[in-house]
Amino acid sequence: MRMSDQTRVNLSQALVVTGLILYIPSNVMPVMTMSIVGSVEPLTVMGGVRELYDSGLPLIAGVVFLASFVLPFAKLAALAWILFHHGSSNLRRERNKVFKIVHKIGSWSMIDIFLISVLAAVGQLGALASIRAEPGCIVFAIVLLCSLIAAEIYKPRLIWEDV
Amino acid sequence: MVDGKWINCPHCDAPCLEREPQPGHVLICGRCDSTVMVPLGKRTLQPPLALSITGLFLLLLANTEPILTFDVVGRYQSDYMITGVIELCRQGYFPIALLVCFAAIIAPAIYLSAVFYLTFATVFRVKLPGLLNVIRLGKVVSPWNLIPVYSIATVVSVVKLRMLGEVHWESGARFILGVAVMSILCHQVSDKEVALKRLEEMGLEIKP
Repeated sequence: MRMSDQTRVNLSQALVVTGLILYIPSNVMPVMTMSIVGSVEPLTVMGGVRELYDSGLPLIAGVVFLASFVLPFAKLAALAWILFHHGSSNLRRERNKVFKIVHKIGSWSMIDIFLISVLAAVGQLGALASIRAEPGCIVFAIVLLCSLIAAEIYKPRLIWEDV
Repeated sequence: MVDGKWINCPHCDAPCLEREPQPGHVLICGRCDSTVMVPLGKRTLQPPLALSITGLFLLLLANTEPILTFDVVGRYQSDYMITGVIELCRQGYFPIALLVCFAAIIAPAIYLSAVFYLTFATVFRVKLPGLLNVIRLGKVVSPWNLIPVYSIATVVSVVKLRMLGEVHWESGARFILGVAVMSILCHQVSDKEVALKRLEEMGLEIKP
């Protein structure tokens, strides 16, 4: 089954808009809850970054901040800009360069999802330590999937086509 | 009238006149500046074949050995790659579990197997069935092969867990790092154009 170019554009636009709408909830809702010896702490994506920073690990905090907070938004914003100009002859070379960068960035934002998976796996020590995923991780995953699938569906050749 | 065959730029689809580039030169698309052709010469697909075999073995080991052990006041728990998937399922986050399972286990396995299948066929000049479909499959799965991201996430999780208890690295972590390195190298050295050229030389009909 081959997708028509118009379907590709429409689907990419829908995914990017969905991703942008869900971006704020994904950063406000807790993605996991850590219970350590009775103290329960819900963690958002930014909360996790702050915790790493406060623990004297600014480099790791920086990597997670970039991967989980900056990259998903940058990717969605870049795709939105490319799709906004779709069909026009303006800034084609620039759009092409940005698209190449978006593709190179790939899926480093998935760090947080994998992090939840590893933490949830080992954090099952009953009352001593328990780590649970929260609904925020689903919203966060949807944002990542939207940007990933939109970048795969929209083909760079479409940048050069007139509508 | 221009002599030569017209080929499409793999990035933007612009028609480019095919000219075998001289050694040290590349054919660049005039529209998007992407590389259209590189001199193939006697380039072989032996490096990706070796890397994919190593990657597949390491992936098997990475899935059978524990990655790390978390220890809180004497009680400890080990983590395998699949443990996280099972735990997420148990907590009711089936879509997330599926995503982790696909991106960290299934996609790397499919990607490395596809590279192995294709390079084995071209290096040993064996006409295996469905080679073109395998190229397509590898291309589709490649962006979902997130084992390098998984290895970084493991490091971050250790940093986080050290705030709560003791963490001991296990052998599975080394294998995950190994698969990540093999996947990245495989991606860098696998050349679809070389593969297609070698398949053509074997007399296989390659449809665009």
